[in-house]
Amino acid sequence: MNIRSFQDRVFDWVNYAFMLLLAIVMIFPFFYLFSVSFTTYEEFLRSQLLLWPRKWSIVAYEYIFSSHSFIRSLRVTVYITILGTLVNLFFTTTMAYGLSRKIYGQRFIMLAILFTMLFSAGMIPTYLVVKETGLLDSIWSLILPAAIAPFNLIIVRQFFMSLPQELSESALIDGASDLVIFRKIVLPLSKPILAAFGLFYAVGHWNNYFAGILYLNDQTKWPIQVILRQIVVQSDAMNALGVINPEMLANQPPPETVQMAAILISTLPILIVYPFLQKHFAKGVMIGSIKG
Amino acid sequence: MNKKVVSILSASMMISVIAGCSGNNNEPAASSSPASASTASSSPGASGASSGDAAKQKVTITALKYKYGEVPPTDKNGVNLINEHFNVDYQINMIPQGSYSDKLSAVFASGTLPDIISFEGDDAWNRYPKFAKQGAFADLDSIIQQYPSMSGVPDYIYDQFKVDGKIYAIPTFSPARSVFSIMIRKDWLDNLNLSVPTSYEELKKVALAFTNDDPDKNGKKDTYGFALGKDLNPKLNMGTYWDPTAWYHKDEQGRFIPGSIAPGYKEVVQTLADLYKQGAVTPDFVTLDWANTNKEFYSGKAGIFIAAINGMSEDYVKGLLAIQPEAKFVSLEAFKAPDGSQGWTAARGFGGFNVISAQAAKDPVKLERILEILEFSRKFYPVEDRKETNPDYDFYLGNVGVSYDMVDGKPKFKENAVNLGLAPSTFLPDGGWPAKEADMNYPAGYSLPLIQELTGSLANHLNSTNWYASPNYPVISQTNLDKGAQLDQYLIDEQTKMIAGQRPVSDWDKMVDEWKKMGGEQIIQEVNAGIAIKDASEAWIK
Repeated sequence: MNIRSFQDRVFDWVNYAFMLLLAIVMIFPFFYLFSVSFTTYEEFLRSQLLLWPRKWSIVAYEYIFSSHSFIRSLRVTVYITILGTLVNLFFTTTMAYGLSRKIYGQRFIMLAILFTMLFSAGMIPTYLVVKETGLLDSIWSLILPAAIAPFNLIIVRQFFMSLPQELSESALIDGASDLVIFRKIVLPLSKPILAAFGLFYAVGHWNNYFAGILYLNDQTKWPIQVILRQIVVQSDAMNALGVINPEMLANQPPPETVQMAAILISTLPILIVYPFLQKHFAKGVMIGSIKG
Repeated sequence: MNKKVVSILSASMMISVIAGCSGNNNEPAASSSPASASTASSSPGASGASSGDAAKQKVTITALKYKYGEVPPTDKNGVNLINEHFNVDYQINMIPQGSYSDKLSAVFASGTLPDIISFEGDDAWNRYPKFAKQGAFADLDSIIQQYPSMSGVPDYIYDQFKVDGKIYAIPTFSPARSVFSIMIRKDWLDNLNLSVPTSYEELKKVALAFTNDDPDKNGKKDTYGFALGKDLNPKLNMGTYWDPTAWYHKDEQGRFIPGSIAPGYKEVVQTLADLYKQGAVTPDFVTLDWANTNKEFYSGKAGIFIAAINGMSEDYVKGLLAIQPEAKFVSLEAFKAPDGSQGWTAARGFGGFNVISAQAAKDPVKLERILEILEFSRKFYPVEDRKETNPDYDFYLGNVGVSYDMVDGKPKFKENAVNLGLAPSTFLPDGGWPAKEADMNYPAGYSLPLIQELTGSLANHLNSTNWYASPNYPVISQTNLDKGAQLDQYLIDEQTKMIAGQRPVSDWDKMVDEWKKMGGEQIIQEVNAGIAIKDASEAWIK
């Protein structure tokens, strides 16, 4: 059993080498971000491709953390992500569970859901809905309009349908209500799928940018991506612009290093969460898709 | 064990959702109150227009404005000062410039317009005429005459805002006589004993010398001529004759054509193509974004780049000086064109523009207060008036000692003062409108002597050169609105291929034909139908 042919070993080594290369390709951009963000601007200009900061500097981070809006929006985004993901999971799982049972009008509801997947309303109708429901300028405008992603709902429903019917039937005989079955039997069995879609939703909230601009007039509620975009994209535009108070441009930070630092800080939380949910990840999505 | 964790998780999840939902009932009501307040005030009759002493009445004014860089908080010193000074409740909503266009669409669709709305420049021939025709904005013809900063705007600028003969917009200042010229590393020229080029032929020689003759004398072949980025940015035209945006040349039928298909720009593309082959243009320009294009020049690799009197980055130059302390720049003057002309294309003469909503204008008290704020924010301070003893200027910058200090006789914002929202200037809807463009004195705004010198000599040149008022400016071409961006991109892509050697420059006429078939012909016809002059020579202004 342990005897492996020469070809096998060659294959393994090639495989290792390939995987290692792939890993480096994946990690390198973050590593580059890290190096550039911790170096001085002169050093960055001087070097063709900066691999490791020769001169360390935390100027970029000082700049970012001295800006009040960055920390504030980071807090807003953490709040939205946690709250939003919980809302998403709650509504997605309850609706998916309901639709996984044999109920009246199920076919119609599924078709209606499918319809929203194929034809989305577009920016202005959605804006009007948010406005008329009084969500404008509230954090909930970033959470409620997209409380359920139809695609996720369909997969979660498939997953629930793939659970053995006998389980819930026997619970039913033992006198459990639908809610009890859902909470005590279905949800505990759905750990992988909760983890996987929780992550999907969380990343979605974390990256949410446009809704913040559109629905929130109060900039103290803007999520981090708005601020990030301003630091990364707009610092160039600023320089190309004729400004009537030239003194306003004074104290501009060196742009690239700050950009890199901002990207790093705002990606970090997702990077940290990823490995812990990774093990559920493939499993969760695959299970849902088997019977699709 | 695991089951327990999950059920606790799911239970806590539900609890928090329920808690969240119940919180939902209160939160929007509380947080949307400013919005509803503004809605109420902008509806007619809500504010008593006919009360006796209108000046003492506090008015709520809402505004929507785009902002470059960080958006400062609006509950701080800057807005408070505005509120006190004008006796208003100034509710400004500032949106990052990159998303402004979409926000504007949504706001207009919602039907509740803020009282003062800022537009970016290119909306002047895009959404502005449409909204104006629908009666969204206040007609300003009679008002403009009463306010000096508004009546001082040249007619040719207002002409671009006329919708059915009426003006609904107040343009914000942007220099008409300011262009991107080319700057060259003077120290490299001196090292190689070359003189400042005055034609593309000479410029070509300089670019090749920068590539082959080691201009920085470090013994390595690590330099080249032009720093160029993707989308042929910068354009590297040295006057109107070569300008891809000006309508200067005529075709064989005697019609004006855009510079991007004209023989002048062909010469520029030909020059760049020749030089690219010999390594004198940024090798990977096809994919280089603007920040990296800047880096090519300011890291001392390239010797030729664009310069302007305003908007130069001191940080970039500081970065360059840290690496090559001996660096010096020289800016080029417009080249003499084959047809004898010499000069630059004047800009449209405005940066963006402000409109007042038709709804707000129905309330005379409110309208007057809005115009008061606009007029104040359009006040221009010549350099000698920029003193802490000038009460208006001191207020404008947010009070000396609070948001700025006087350093060497120049106001200098305290660290983060702008980001903290300490200065009214950050929030006012407009900027200063100088009586004469030369009053702007851009060089004085820089602190690095190297940039002061460069922009000073460029400003001298721009003050004495000729200017071409491109005749297409007041013409709105529907085809250009619909397809212009796509057609421009087509030309840029093809010209990029020509420079990179993937398509011969001799294909130029073929490219122009393809462009015309895609809709370019239609644009030429529509624009020519609206052009008032017979010959390009009539459009030159001193």
